[in-house]
Amino acid sequence: MDAIIVEKLSKDFGKIRAVDSLSFNVPNGKVFAILGPNGAGKTTTLRILACIISPSSGDAYVAGASITKQPRKIRMITGIVTENPALYERLTAEENLEFFARAYGVNDPLERKRRIRMMMEDFDLWERRNDRVGTFSKGMKQKLSFIRAMIHQPQVILLDEPTSSLDPLSSHLVRDYMIKMKRDGKTVILSTHRLEDVEKVADMVMLMSKGRALAFGSPAQLIEESNSKKAEIEVKNFEKKFENVIESIATVKEVVSQAESYLIKIEVDDFNTDIPQIVRKLAIEGADILSVRGDSRNLEEVYLRLIGDSE
Amino acid sequence: MSRISGLFLNVYLVFKKDWTEISRNWQVLIPVIVVPVFFSMVLPIIIYLFPVSISSLGPLQNLFNTLPDYAKQRLLNFNPAQLAFYMVSVFFFAPFFLVIPLIASSVIASDSFAGEKERKTIESLLATPISDSEMFLGKMLVSFSAAMFSTLSSFLVYTSVVDVLALGIFGRPILPDLSWIILILLLAPAVSLASVGLTVTISAKVKGFREAQQINAILIIPILIGIFSESWIAVILGAKALILLTLFFVLIDCVMFYAGVKLFKREDIMAKIS
Repeated sequence: MDAIIVEKLSKDFGKIRAVDSLSFNVPNGKVFAILGPNGAGKTTTLRILACIISPSSGDAYVAGASITKQPRKIRMITGIVTENPALYERLTAEENLEFFARAYGVNDPLERKRRIRMMMEDFDLWERRNDRVGTFSKGMKQKLSFIRAMIHQPQVILLDEPTSSLDPLSSHLVRDYMIKMKRDGKTVILSTHRLEDVEKVADMVMLMSKGRALAFGSPAQLIEESNSKKAEIEVKNFEKKFENVIESIATVKEVVSQAESYLIKIEVDDFNTDIPQIVRKLAIEGADILSVRGDSRNLEEVYLRLIGDSE
Repeated sequence: MSRISGLFLNVYLVFKKDWTEISRNWQVLIPVIVVPVFFSMVLPIIIYLFPVSISSLGPLQNLFNTLPDYAKQRLLNFNPAQLAFYMVSVFFFAPFFLVIPLIASSVIASDSFAGEKERKTIESLLATPISDSEMFLGKMLVSFSAAMFSTLSSFLVYTSVVDVLALGIFGRPILPDLSWIILILLLAPAVSLASVGLTVTISAKVKGFREAQQINAILIIPILIGIFSESWIAVILGAKALILLTLFFVLIDCVMFYAGVKLFKREDIMAKIS
């Protein structure tokens, strides 16, 4: 079952269209990452899903509830880590968490205390519980903001750059929490610039630019789809007939003479089928093959290529 | 938990959170403390220094002439010093106690939503399941409480100072009389609620605190002038006139709260600062 269904969601701020007819589904118990440059519409999408702002058109369903018709129900079952920590600086850390826990309906005082203590200890903030938030560092505020979003154990958690100000250890802790939430059947939507987070925890990725979705899939799928078109075959000896052999299957783009070898740069339609055939035929024709390399990209390169193409 | 108790729980939650924050913010606290100190200490001293030292009414004669016969009857047996002291302390300064709640609450009410927008805390508040009316009522209640704290404490100090001085002039205390009790316990809260409702609505609509304060000043000054003249007459006319004026303001309170909640749309708040 899908925890989130987004149907042709759009949001206009005056003449600017921040989100443009966005549609996607997120199954229960998955981490769904939204990647995109600044101004892509990621934060607006999260704010709409958290019922902080309403869409200009379209609708979305969070755990079956409509954002346009049942916003209060959605607010009860979602938690959001906002771009700014959005904490009350004149209140202590514990007072902040008390307020939000009660606002989200954690009415049992003992349970509230237990959750606050457990999470503050996890994030190494318990000793500072009686200090005003105004005295906290940016990273500490971000950790507290994360605890605030999780304090009512929401079914869906929306994270807007949750690790941007955190040290590696704290980032690791936040990622662990995301994985734990996923294990508990909760759904996480993560908007981030940190591709490391996406590669480590996301099951699905949506690339956004100018309010629109450019690509969907798992990180591996996106990489796979972006790869496998180009390859390089390094041979010790080179003869013109090798080119003819390759041209019968793929396209030779360039032959580069190196110190003690030749690099044949080719482009194939299907890496997994075409490359073994080419290698086999080249070997029969007498080519001494030293190596075969696919043009493999990582997520960052995929991101840069897709975003670059859209600009 | 019933819906009603749930509603009050959330209203109290917003109230408590804001009250704790305000109690740690001197910039906001100053008007709440300074205003009552000024009105309750300085005004009686002015009365004491001015009219008691003269043997005739002097410049207050014109004021006395404008009083209706009903009011003049109450002052028939007073000598000039008593007359001057009574007119100024009981009639003339009464409207100030309707101004106190407006001044004391204006900073807090202007800061209610506009301050949260400026400090970027509004997003997390709007993400909670607290409803629009609960949020609005909670914010109103904070400003109203501050206003009433200022008014009541001013009233207590003022009454004490006036009565101490009155013992020497009349041989008995003169405040509070029925008009003053109605003024402080009924009319002042009603006026205060209307003002707070208007200011909180403005605060939700504008982008920042300064803008809220400016609009508030433009709207509140004409209201102040109106209140001043109406309440002065009402105090002179007595309890019935004050109760009628209170009912008028209760009506305004209802309209203000209804309009405020209707105009308050959380989605618009974030859209404005996005």
